[in-house]
Amino acid sequence: MTTDYAGPLPDTTDPLTGPHWAAARDGRLAAQCCARCGALRWQPAPICPECLQAGGDWVDLAGTGTIWSFAVYHRAMGPAFRDAVPYTVAMVELDEGPRMVGMLTDAADDGSDVTIGQRVRASYEPVTDDVTLVRWVRA
Amino acid sequence: MSTTTESPTRGAVAVVGVGSTAQGQFPGRSANEIAVEAIELALADAGLEKSDVDGLITCQNLRSRAGTDEQIGLLAGLNPAFSATLDYGTGNFSLHLAVMAVTSGLASTIVLCYGTNQRSAKADFGVAVGGGADFATLSGLVHVAGPAAMAFRRHQHLYGTTEEQLAHVAVAQREWAQRNPAAIFRDPLTVEDYLASPYLVAPLRRPDLTMISDGGAALVVTSADRARDRPKSPVYVLGMAEQTALRGDANPDNLTRPWLGDVAGRLWSSSGVRPDDVDLLYIQDATSVWVLQMLEWYGFCKLGEGGPFLAEGRTRPGGSLPVNTNGGQLSESYMWGWLHLCEAVRQLRGECGDRQVASPSIAVDCSSHDFLKGAASILSTHQ
Repeated sequence: MTTDYAGPLPDTTDPLTGPHWAAARDGRLAAQCCARCGALRWQPAPICPECLQAGGDWVDLAGTGTIWSFAVYHRAMGPAFRDAVPYTVAMVELDEGPRMVGMLTDAADDGSDVTIGQRVRASYEPVTDDVTLVRWVRA
Repeated sequence: MSTTTESPTRGAVAVVGVGSTAQGQFPGRSANEIAVEAIELALADAGLEKSDVDGLITCQNLRSRAGTDEQIGLLAGLNPAFSATLDYGTGNFSLHLAVMAVTSGLASTIVLCYGTNQRSAKADFGVAVGGGADFATLSGLVHVAGPAAMAFRRHQHLYGTTEEQLAHVAVAQREWAQRNPAAIFRDPLTVEDYLASPYLVAPLRRPDLTMISDGGAALVVTSADRARDRPKSPVYVLGMAEQTALRGDANPDNLTRPWLGDVAGRLWSSSGVRPDDVDLLYIQDATSVWVLQMLEWYGFCKLGEGGPFLAEGRTRPGGSLPVNTNGGQLSESYMWGWLHLCEAVRQLRGECGDRQVASPSIAVDCSSHDFLKGAASILSTHQ
């Protein structure tokens, strides 16, 4: 697949975050759950920040949540996003609790149709042969 | 002032010298040269020689090795008994370390400095901030403007705060800057000008974000006993407090930074000072949103009432609570809060000319490191 995606790319071979990217390629939203205390965490980490147990089981989440807040980038604040503006980034409160940031790809250019509290669902967008990014659309 | 549990360091240490270089754009000058120039200015202000200094606290530049104590000590010819480098020394964190070093006996007279050539060196501020940087970057949530915009949007949602109310942060600070010959941005700025300027990261505009500039600042602190022998009136550190939020987005509503309220609670309870006692307020303003947040978390107004408080003009020249009388980072220069401390000292000494506030005795300086740390200090003309 060839795209004109010019933004940053993750290292999908990273053992820590790799399972998240593998799940995204399959259209699933995955995060870690502590095998000892059961705490769900985002972002990926090698240790449970609640009970300090090493590792973590990857579990699938519903991929749904609510917009906690959002920002509308009219100006590219970093060179990697020159082709992306205008774009909207949402902080999504997942139904399972953790918060996750991601581009809200169905927003109007000026973000005027976006409001805090709107329901959203994950959208799995391949940007290279290897990388599928998790983005968000209104549910 | 009410009486409460008082800090053992209350009034034990004083600022006896401040120095600030010209601010702006200085191609060809290194961050370290600028820092040492500020040291020289601060020592002269204190009436001290290099040989009087036995402590050095330096501030490392953003994603750069510049500014370490090793480099500054070499360049300035100092072998202090005590030295340290903070990698993000907003002035407060460095000042607190100095108070600890003096009261513990590790050093008696300390020079604190920060110099930067971040503008000339084209330092990249277009990166994600805070602990969750990698995934934020992938989402385009780069530059502090993004999370700050989210924080303000949330404030609007919860409390009905308007962009016009937020405009008063930048407008009031520009009014102060017009009275400060050292400020970089001194052109008039009205609420109408503000609202007519384009969004950068909506709902924030250019005037809501700090400039990027080169410059240096330094302070000299010593024990209260030694301070009495200095030529200028000592400015005592009456209180200090800090709080971290190192868990980042795992903290509840982290972008609204509720843990700043913990800094405030500790600051007031350990000093006996109350918000009503404060004559001058300094808020390190990477963005205007920080001013709104800190007015509320420090109790200068109620939570959610920062918008109307600002719009009433209280923080402007002539207002009941002068805020960032130097113009702050939005209008004077971007010095990680160091110039706020210099200005507080100069105001308390009555040296500020057209912008001098009448007979102030207590200044409070509130600073933060993005979404990770907060710190505050109370400075006073008396112990």
